[in-house]
Amino acid sequence: MRELVVLFQKEWRENTRNFKILWVPLVFIFFGLSEPLTSYYLPQILDAVGNMPEGTTFPMPEFTPAQVIMATMGQYQFIGMLVLVLAFMGTISRERKNGTGTLIYVRPISYLNYFLSKWKVVGMIALMSVWLGLLTSWYYTGLLFGKVEASDFFAFAGTYSVWILFVVTIVLAMSAWLPTGGAAGLSLLLILIVQIVDSLLGTYWTISPWKISTYATQWLTGSPDSGDFWWSIAITILAIIALMIFGVWMSKRNASKTKV
Amino acid sequence: MTIILEADHLTKIYGSERAVNEVTFALGEGTSTALIGPNGAGKTTTLSMLGGLLEPTTGTISLNGEKRADVRKHIGFLPQYPQFFSWLTALEFTEMAAKLSGMDARSAKLEAQKTLEFVGLGDALRKKTGTFSGGMKQRLGLAQAIVHKPKLLLLDEPVSALDPVGRREIMNLLKSLQQDMTILYSTHILNDAEEMTDQLLFLRKGQLVEQGSIGDVRAKYDQPRYRVEFGRAEDAIIYSERAPWNVQVEGACGTIHLAQGFPTMADVLKSLAESGLDVRKAERQTANLEEIFMKVAGQA
Amino acid sequence: MEALQGLSWGIIAPIFIIQLILVIVALIDLTKIHQTNGPKWVWALVIIFINIVGPIAYFIAGRKQA
Repeated sequence: MRELVVLFQKEWRENTRNFKILWVPLVFIFFGLSEPLTSYYLPQILDAVGNMPEGTTFPMPEFTPAQVIMATMGQYQFIGMLVLVLAFMGTISRERKNGTGTLIYVRPISYLNYFLSKWKVVGMIALMSVWLGLLTSWYYTGLLFGKVEASDFFAFAGTYSVWILFVVTIVLAMSAWLPTGGAAGLSLLLILIVQIVDSLLGTYWTISPWKISTYATQWLTGSPDSGDFWWSIAITILAIIALMIFGVWMSKRNASKTKV
Repeated sequence: MTIILEADHLTKIYGSERAVNEVTFALGEGTSTALIGPNGAGKTTTLSMLGGLLEPTTGTISLNGEKRADVRKHIGFLPQYPQFFSWLTALEFTEMAAKLSGMDARSAKLEAQKTLEFVGLGDALRKKTGTFSGGMKQRLGLAQAIVHKPKLLLLDEPVSALDPVGRREIMNLLKSLQQDMTILYSTHILNDAEEMTDQLLFLRKGQLVEQGSIGDVRAKYDQPRYRVEFGRAEDAIIYSERAPWNVQVEGACGTIHLAQGFPTMADVLKSLAESGLDVRKAERQTANLEEIFMKVAGQA
Repeated sequence: MEALQGLSWGIIAPIFIIQLILVIVALIDLTKIHQTNGPKWVWALVIIFINIVGPIAYFIAGRKQA
């Protein structure tokens, strides 16, 4: 336990001193702001940038509050995921590559604590970023488009948090397994590409971690199918645990690859 | 003497290459052992296995007679090029190292400070390690290896990256640690090994080709000889023709190899005096570690 | 630009504030950091002139981390 605290402190210091604790949340807040704003001011923006003949009118789509929040999540699902992968892809692999891991691995640490300390800090930063961003988006949506019920919003954000933890665990497990480049590539494949595949072919099944974000948005307009939803949550949590076990095992196995 | 660490037929195979092959040795408590050999002999691989970084392919390591123990609890390890988290200060890093080796927060802080002062980093306690020079990194590396007072210190080329002054200072620090710790260090600088060694381990192509105390090894490989210097090269040739023993001539010098105590120095001097040649210098030479090293390294 | 006069600046201001914080933090880090991947002045230009992406690019690719 004490060892976990020491390693956690080290990770925390790292992420405050390299400013990740600051810039990652700011990026998510930025999109939480810009999405409702650009949706709201779309007519003016088009007007200002386009050379429209006088008197042209576009049938502007009327956004519902729920659609604006979904659009924010849409941004997170691509740009947000990219930022998370790129920011944390080297969390473990870089320590092996540059040899800083060596002086940790020769101490009597458990690789469970080693992995957990990183998972906790990265998970905290990712969840904090997503929540701050979504709360901003919710506030602005309420200001510009109309109200989204708090219970709906929290059900949505809570469900989406499970997906975020799944993403964080993928990135760390890959970083434990592969060199940084490979970890980034495979993480993006697992997060973005599988997501697309799941949405294209996924009509054949309803239970999958890659459907969590869709189920999350359904809370904004109603509620997802209870069975599908809870099974997907359960499967995702199991996947997170399995990935963590894999990550711990790989951290230990690959410790010998550290530069000495 | 109590044995603290025992390596038994330690082997590490990468693909088809035997980086370390059936290496067996023991370290007595409180002794200092030098692991020497040319580059690529398997020194770092051996130390990595002892340090718990690498799993041996076959063979065992026992610590205090216990097989397959987590050696990491009892060692301090200094890699050849220690790398630090650039965003931590020297004190923060050493403190963390002490805590990860099981010290409580209070004594970790205290010992970290004391140890950093001991290695000469007293002025740089609160400096980020990212700004450290090579010599400072080596000192910090030593500090983190000894802060938790391990029984066994494993050092990979602790001084070879340093300039002569830094090397001298680190060697002196290591000598002062000899009383409290068992030390195993690798080096290819033989003067260092000669200075601080109870036992020598010679590695060549992954194999332990020679081991023993520095005296034993020297006795085995030493070929004592006399070396006579003449004023002129002709004198050396004349002497080699007249002398009752075989003389190898090289310029104005002649070398006489001893065989089983013959000739004695008195015999040589007597023959030189009788020859009437212009003798400048006559001395008895023994092989230094460098020559022994070359001999061992060059064995077929 | 008349069309943009309908904007309520109080609502939009935070978006610029965030960009400004990112630029300032990135620049502060750039001056303090020991080494970057590539010349520092290039990163300074990237941070200042490329909206939002500049500072992020610096934090991800510019810092030499150890």
